[in-house]
Amino acid sequence: MATRIAEPATGGPSAASAHLQPEDRVELLRAMLLMRGLEERAMTLYRQGKVPGSFYDGYGQEAVSAGAAFAMGPRDRLCILHRDLAAHLIRGVTPARVLGQYLGRETGVTRGRDGNVHFGDWRLGCVGMVSMLPDMMLVATGMAMAFKLRGEARCAITWFGDGSTSRGDFHEAMNWAGVQRLPVIFVLENNQYAYSTPLDKQFAVDPVQRAAAYGFAGVTVDGNDVEAVFEATRAARQRALAGEGPTLIEAVTMRMHGHAAHDDMKYVPKEQVEEWRKRDPIDRQSARLSELGVDVEAVRAAVAAEIDAATEEALAAPMPDPADAASGVFCEGEAEPLGDGRAPWSGFAQEPGGEA
Amino acid sequence: MSSSPTETVVDVTMPQMGVSVAEGTVVAWRVAVGDPIAADETICEISTDKIDTEVPAPVSGVVSEILVPVETTVEVGTVLARIATGAGAAAAKPADAPAPATAAEPPVEALPGPNGARARQANGNRRYSPVVQRIAAEHGVDLSQVPGTGRGGRVRKQDVLAFLEGGGGREAAEAPLHIESPYRPEPAPAVGSGQLSRMRRQIGEHMKRSLETSATCTTWIEVDMSRVEAARRRLGVTALAFVARATIDALREHPSLNAWLEGERYTQHPGVNLGIAVSLGDDGLIVPVIHDAHELSVEGLAARIRDLATRARARQLTPDEVRDGTFTITNPGQYGSIMATPIINQPQVGILDFEAVVKRPVVVTDADGSDSIAIRPVTILGLSWDHRALDGALSAQFLASVKRHLEGVVASGS
Amino acid sequence: MATMTYLQAISSALRDELRADERVIVMGEDIGVFGGAFKVTDGFIEEFGPDRVMDTPLAESAIIGTAVGAAVVGLRPVCEMQFSDFISCGFDQLVNVAGKMHYRQGLAVPITVRLPSGGGFSGGPFHSQNPEAWFMHAPGIKVVAPSTAHDAKGLLHSAIHDPNPVCFMEHKHLYRRVKGEVPDGVYETPFTARVARPGRDLVVIAYGAMVEVALEATADLDGAAVEVLDLRSLVPLDEAAILDSVERCSKVVIVDEANATCAAGAQVAAVIAQHGFESLDGPVVRVATPDVPIPFSPPLEQAVLPSVDRVREACRELLAY
Repeated sequence: MATRIAEPATGGPSAASAHLQPEDRVELLRAMLLMRGLEERAMTLYRQGKVPGSFYDGYGQEAVSAGAAFAMGPRDRLCILHRDLAAHLIRGVTPARVLGQYLGRETGVTRGRDGNVHFGDWRLGCVGMVSMLPDMMLVATGMAMAFKLRGEARCAITWFGDGSTSRGDFHEAMNWAGVQRLPVIFVLENNQYAYSTPLDKQFAVDPVQRAAAYGFAGVTVDGNDVEAVFEATRAARQRALAGEGPTLIEAVTMRMHGHAAHDDMKYVPKEQVEEWRKRDPIDRQSARLSELGVDVEAVRAAVAAEIDAATEEALAAPMPDPADAASGVFCEGEAEPLGDGRAPWSGFAQEPGGEA
Repeated sequence: MSSSPTETVVDVTMPQMGVSVAEGTVVAWRVAVGDPIAADETICEISTDKIDTEVPAPVSGVVSEILVPVETTVEVGTVLARIATGAGAAAAKPADAPAPATAAEPPVEALPGPNGARARQANGNRRYSPVVQRIAAEHGVDLSQVPGTGRGGRVRKQDVLAFLEGGGGREAAEAPLHIESPYRPEPAPAVGSGQLSRMRRQIGEHMKRSLETSATCTTWIEVDMSRVEAARRRLGVTALAFVARATIDALREHPSLNAWLEGERYTQHPGVNLGIAVSLGDDGLIVPVIHDAHELSVEGLAARIRDLATRARARQLTPDEVRDGTFTITNPGQYGSIMATPIINQPQVGILDFEAVVKRPVVVTDADGSDSIAIRPVTILGLSWDHRALDGALSAQFLASVKRHLEGVVASGS
Repeated sequence: MATMTYLQAISSALRDELRADERVIVMGEDIGVFGGAFKVTDGFIEEFGPDRVMDTPLAESAIIGTAVGAAVVGLRPVCEMQFSDFISCGFDQLVNVAGKMHYRQGLAVPITVRLPSGGGFSGGPFHSQNPEAWFMHAPGIKVVAPSTAHDAKGLLHSAIHDPNPVCFMEHKHLYRRVKGEVPDGVYETPFTARVARPGRDLVVIAYGAMVEVALEATADLDGAAVEVLDLRSLVPLDEAAILDSVERCSKVVIVDEANATCAAGAQVAAVIAQHGFESLDGPVVRVATPDVPIPFSPPLEQAVLPSVDRVREACRELLAY
């Protein structure tokens, strides 16, 4: 199958947004604002010494998780990575639980068992990531394998970075998914750097070109245009449900902060940062909505209030009980599979089963 | 962190910018002491070996202290500055996180039970394994008697078990009556063996607790009981009644001995509830209390003592009659013992022991100052007292008062 | 009831599970059309189809990783590593993704990983390993190792029913050399130890192929009554059974076919030293393969693997102590 490379959008209402209602567009902005606001708040808390360990964020690449997750149906399943907070939020994880997670509280999604963005609320259909990347590509492939086996109209999606494509699991997952023609969407967040390692040290061939080598479609999309990301994912999902197999979506974006809070990214040329600042995904979606007459300030204010309330709730939450530290290693009862999550896209409301 | 109803002081600490970072340097202060600052506003700039960054204030308020000067490197967690927040501050931030619980200690593995501490029995170079020692201890086997068939002649488990089966152990320790006779004497059942009675145990607990609570000291004084002897024969009462009355009078003069000490609370009582220890034979003793004993004469005291003792022995005392004593007298009887170290009846601070009255040669001084030897009935009164409540001088004075009252008894009995 | 080999017992368990539970799938290299490198799944694809008897690409990490994904959406995958040695290629997915998932996220991962293990037939360094200790050391993974046909079937049923990741150490050398009575249908063997032969003077603790070695070495040993304890389950480890045997016998020889350092037997020895101290009448003795890759040429291989003679000598010496 040929590799199709989409033209990156440069701004303004895009033609790719034909499947979005006005409330969808607002929801996309809201999700990005909530992600950015929560991460900024968490960074402040980190500098105040309240967040243990390290802190990672997805500043500047919010569109990649917001747009892609928005295209996922309630029965689809997600393997979310550390710069994809918007995916968790769209799926239904509340801001207070996210902050509780960063703060290591009992109310965090993992109850203090794992830190920062290493979480996934399985009841909402999300699998928590591990540090070894891109291990989760294989898990998503396996979920898709089960859907196909049972003949279900569902797909799995996973995000991973440019650096992780160098590891063996990338190849094994791409190959397996291609061989078995599985309904899985691989979202490659190309944010230009893996820690301090730039792209030209990571691959000799653009990863999106490799998709053809594994026998399926590879698509490049402007990772800072949330509606373009949505459209690319929606199309990939259509392909998956139609039995056409996987899609590799390369979302081109820029990591605007360091690898983590302790990294000041001195290795990134200032001009590169400035260039990308002009393409900020939130600015772009805000401009788009303003042109449509949406009161963007009201959306911002509502999100800010939500974050303040969540901060208060999370800071008041208790730390986990040390007596529990060694419990829960094994499941003692029945194994429960992943549950369904929130899927706010208006497209899902049309079908009786909620599937577009 | 100090806190008062109107003000809370919040620490600003050096943050940890990365898991491996251990320290940071203050590069610049954006505020001075006394400046107001808003929450999240930058309070200082820091430099670490990973990143230079700004530290946002955790709360709104007024900078009350700046503790680390510029260009100083400190460890992560060090307090850099303090911010005082008013209770009514409009932008008051939520309270600091509760202090993180210390990391859970891994569960400590329990060591083996009480047997584990048993010292190894070494007999020269002979060593015994844990199981061999245990079996030997359980059956009273002298391991030096057990032949070993293990390596180097060591005693194996099988060896000590075989030894037991062959009749070793406690039975072997007893020599047969006759070398050719299989007869073994039956062990005689111990008389009076078994558990202590409940009353005995309770008395024991009380006594032990008293010794552990009070700083118990005992002081003695000799008393010439000739006048008491004369008066009591005439009145037909026991000497104990006179001792009781003299004790009450002395307690009036030295009220600090008529008191309770419970922990740090010291209570002097205006009236005297006098406890008299009564023996219940083998079963133990009990201390019935004469309430308001200061209102009774010698005869009155004698009558009360007689009544209480009788009913005590018949187990007819009411609960009120064994409560609220402020001082106790113990009088074990005329068996000939002359001194004792009684144990204080908690929570009182003194107990008087009245032992035998014995005829002794004593020195008497007549009105002219001439000394001669006389035969007098003498007793030694012992006062155990609590050094937490009083000192030796006072106890001696108290005893002197009791002595004075007893030696001053008028022949008519008052 | 039927008499069958250890290998047939494993096949029987898989077949019964595939029939009884539509969530169960078996996946591995060459297990479908070819019937498996050892023919464990011979005939399966004809009965259950290629979806449930899946020939996978040559990709151990993917076999484990996709099994995790399938398990968390409701399937019960039984993966096969063609040789247990190749689990090192899937180590990351097994230890970091599967093993830690429930503790971190509260999400159960009900996968079974079959690991044909062990040496004794000139398999060489990459086809003869006993890697169970690596996974005893990883929190969140259960490890079982049957030594009889009966337990091979029962433990595999238990493993597949268990909601946690389970490593099933099936010993290649026992596939056709061990036979036994096996009940029909689905039954569960608990994750506990089993007294293979009761005794009094000494206990040999072993698992997998070493149980047979222990039984043979001590069948007629100077009239001594030697107990043999078959661990069967390494995680969870049946400490109560171990300490009970030690209490009664007071002398212990632990046999590992795995490399000595930090093998399962080392953990057993530590448990005994701490909690069974009072019962001991001699040092805790271990017989294990030295820390060498398993050699290929027969005299070399036989020299390193614990033999009947080596176990017998160790027992004889300890009995005399």
